Amino acid sequence: MYIKNSTVSIKSYLDLAQLLQEYRGSHEDNRAFALKHKNLEKAPTKLLLKWLDKNYFRIDGELNSKRYLDYLLSISSVLGLIFFILGFVVGLGLLSYDGKLPVNVIYYLFIAVFIPILSMTLSFISIFSSDRVAHLITLLFPLHWIEKVLNYLPFRKKLKGFKVNLLSFKLSKLLFIERIQLFSLIFSIGLLLSLLIMVVATDIAFGWSTTLQVTPEEFHKLIRYIGIFWDKIIPSAIPSLDLVEMSHYFRLGTKLDISMVHNADKLGAWWKFLSMTTLVYAIGFRLLFWLFIREYLKKQLEESILSLKGVDKILREFRTPYISTQALQKEEHLKIVEAKKDVVVKKRGAKYQTILGWNFSKDEILLANDAKKIGGADNIWAVGGSNSFNKDLEIVKNSSGVVLLYVKSWEPPTMDFIDILEMLVENSRVKRVEIYPLGTIGRYYKNEPEHIDIWRRKIESVDSQKVWIVNHER
Amino acid sequence: MKDRDSYPKFAVVGHPNKGKSSIVSALAHDDSVQIGNTPGTTQIKRGFPLRVDGKIVYELFDTPGFQRARRILAWLKEHEPVSADKRADTIRKFIHNFRDDKRFRDEIELLEPIMNGAGIIYVVDASKPYGAEYEIEMEILRWTGQPSMAILNLIGDEDYREDWSRALGQYFRLVRTFNPLTAKFKNHIELLESIAQLKEDWTEQIKEAIEILKRFHNQKIDRTVEIIIDTTIKSLSYIYRQRIKSKNATKEEYRIAFERYRREIIKYEKKLEKDILEIWKHKNIDKAETPPLINEIGLFSKESESIFGLSQRELILTGASAGAIGGAGIDLAFSGSTFFLGSIIGGIIGGVGAMVGYDNLYNIKILGQKIGKRELIVGPIKSVNFPYILLGRALYYSSLLANRSHAMRDSLELDDREFSIERVIDSDMRKKLEKVHSKLREQKEVKEELLEEYRKVILESFKKLI
Repeated sequence: MYIKNSTVSIKSYLDLAQLLQEYRGSHEDNRAFALKHKNLEKAPTKLLLKWLDKNYFRIDGELNSKRYLDYLLSISSVLGLIFFILGFVVGLGLLSYDGKLPVNVIYYLFIAVFIPILSMTLSFISIFSSDRVAHLITLLFPLHWIEKVLNYLPFRKKLKGFKVNLLSFKLSKLLFIERIQLFSLIFSIGLLLSLLIMVVATDIAFGWSTTLQVTPEEFHKLIRYIGIFWDKIIPSAIPSLDLVEMSHYFRLGTKLDISMVHNADKLGAWWKFLSMTTLVYAIGFRLLFWLFIREYLKKQLEESILSLKGVDKILREFRTPYISTQALQKEEHLKIVEAKKDVVVKKRGAKYQTILGWNFSKDEILLANDAKKIGGADNIWAVGGSNSFNKDLEIVKNSSGVVLLYVKSWEPPTMDFIDILEMLVENSRVKRVEIYPLGTIGRYYKNEPEHIDIWRRKIESVDSQKVWIVNHER
Repeated sequence: MKDRDSYPKFAVVGHPNKGKSSIVSALAHDDSVQIGNTPGTTQIKRGFPLRVDGKIVYELFDTPGFQRARRILAWLKEHEPVSADKRADTIRKFIHNFRDDKRFRDEIELLEPIMNGAGIIYVVDASKPYGAEYEIEMEILRWTGQPSMAILNLIGDEDYREDWSRALGQYFRLVRTFNPLTAKFKNHIELLESIAQLKEDWTEQIKEAIEILKRFHNQKIDRTVEIIIDTTIKSLSYIYRQRIKSKNATKEEYRIAFERYRREIIKYEKKLEKDILEIWKHKNIDKAETPPLINEIGLFSKESESIFGLSQRELILTGASAGAIGGAGIDLAFSGSTFFLGSIIGGIIGGVGAMVGYDNLYNIKILGQKIGKRELIVGPIKSVNFPYILLGRALYYSSLLANRSHAMRDSLELDDREFSIERVIDSDMRKKLEKVHSKLREQKEVKEELLEEYRKVILESFKKLI
């Protein structure tokens, strides 16, 4: 089932990338779509997502996003579980108390404060560094290696068949960083949970010990700095200088300091500080950083979505008015009917009883007769032109024998001409009609072959044994 | 109803076979209009609206020619009203009375849009002598009372425009010459500017239409340039990888790799041709009897190089001025022969001589990825001349289509005498292009500002051709 994309996400990015490979729409469709959503004119990303939702059905086969997100969900679920267990186990390890030496809070602070700050700093550098540096930083994160190992498991099969990298390096990097924050968060929750369980279920004596020459005052100062975020809200979660002093122990010797033993019941008070440290640094800051990365990733996705191949075309088509000059309806093409006989003859008749000139004046007919050395006709008449139709009917009625009909070769026969011709054919006194297409005087009456073809096609459609076209020039 | 009539309409009318459909085809940029030398090719009127986002700015009607004009005029005169202002009503009456009469189907088809408010564009063939029989048609059109103009179309070699102008001037407000077969965009605009003068109410709308068409034309130019650049960059940066069996590639492996490499680049060019056809709306050109001749001159042929590429002298200047890639001297020295060999590749492949040619044309590498997995890598093309051959072909082909009237129905003809890449892209322009070409040869990223400069040069070159 397709889920609509209301905001930019990995899913919408992948869906759009896949759709663009198969379909980019026509200018007409895209412009019509943009006009329909004029309210999104200034929000190209949202308009693209709407366009994606309208056209997603054109994607052939399974959605890449489904396969990729399924893969991501599967591997992330396993990784989430691993990191939670890891956090819990690390917590148990750090807080395990054998009753001989107190639990050194410095180890715990290292995991709950130093490591999160270091990892977030590296992540931050990675976001804004070049691809090469970012890749090197990636290698420092355990997630990279764990994922590599996990990819040998069946998860990777979900991505089989993908020919190209679905995400750009920048997006992959951001997605990786985002997931680091998520898994670190899960790790820290496991850590906090183990701390709380251990505090409830066991009697832990916390202490601090370091090889460095650190006085209790200096250590207390450090603790105050660490606890600056909750100092005023929960003052009891900041160990007092007395507690810091009495918790200080040295590894040398088999016995603990006597005051430490006397105040054993107070040493457990560190748990509040450790819990707040985990809650603020490992969980709180991580959560904020995770949310920041998510937003940043979203912003990058928005930018990347606009630079997907094909998006520029669609956006341009959204913006550019669609101009069309073409006909809406299809043309009915003329059917050319094959002729039953060839009506063109090369030799004209020896003598004509009637000579007619279609759209010629009588003088022009005489001039043509002279040029073509045709004479001796009983009747010479001009037809067509400015004659009325009735006058032409009269001429047709008076025509007889073999009729020579001059026509202007360049003027295609109109139905007006065909009407007259048909009446000539119907006249029983007319034995034969020879149509003589003449060229212009400028060409010495020489006609052009393509004009003869036009006449031939039209006269063939009359389908009469009486009508012929004379073509001397051929 | 008001909306329907709110834009100007023009009916292109006239005697059969005088180029009405050719004029409509040219003005509407539509090569699907059937143009035939058989009278009656156009059987029904067909509207060609200029639409912007669906809104019609003006509409042209292609109409059948007059067939029985004499009989219609006779009927009209029989029913002649007492005053001239009622003549249009007589035409309406004629349409009403004879709507179902097959004899007057063509006349009704052509008169109907006019009586619905369309202006008249009367087309004649001015390469043939004037004849009094045309006066019947002109008289009928005068009866309609609609604004009208005449177009002198020169179909043949002779010129009778003077005679025609004298006669047409008595019937039409404007007489203009327009050859739909040779008309370029500016002629189209000039004609529209004349049409705008036909009726005061239409002037502003036609002016708006002219602006729209200019924008449309510029859109086409920009898209063409974009596609030319996109294809050139894709072709010049293309790399073909092929797994090889042993440490060194065999001759057969080289042959296959080069063949596939070339095939891919040719595919890019074919795609470009298809896109350009679509942009300039020449949908039916591929249906012409003869395919475009440019396809017969292979991209990798010597002929292509001599027509579209740079001369030896310009090549050396181009290579030197751009501080071209290392070893360019050798490349330049051999560049002529590389294309000669390239053309041989198209037909007969093989031989040591040919290998020298390949080496000069493409970058070739053999890389070992992992043990037992070695790849032969061909590309990108390192010849300095090749980008100009690609650009030359693309610019020339695009200009042919951009300049081609939609009324043309014959195949595209290539006339190499007309084209010279050096005239279109001068040495200063080449310096700018070479900055991008050298980056592509070196497989380096091309910065946006360089691409913008490249775009400007290609745009300028294309505009020189159209």
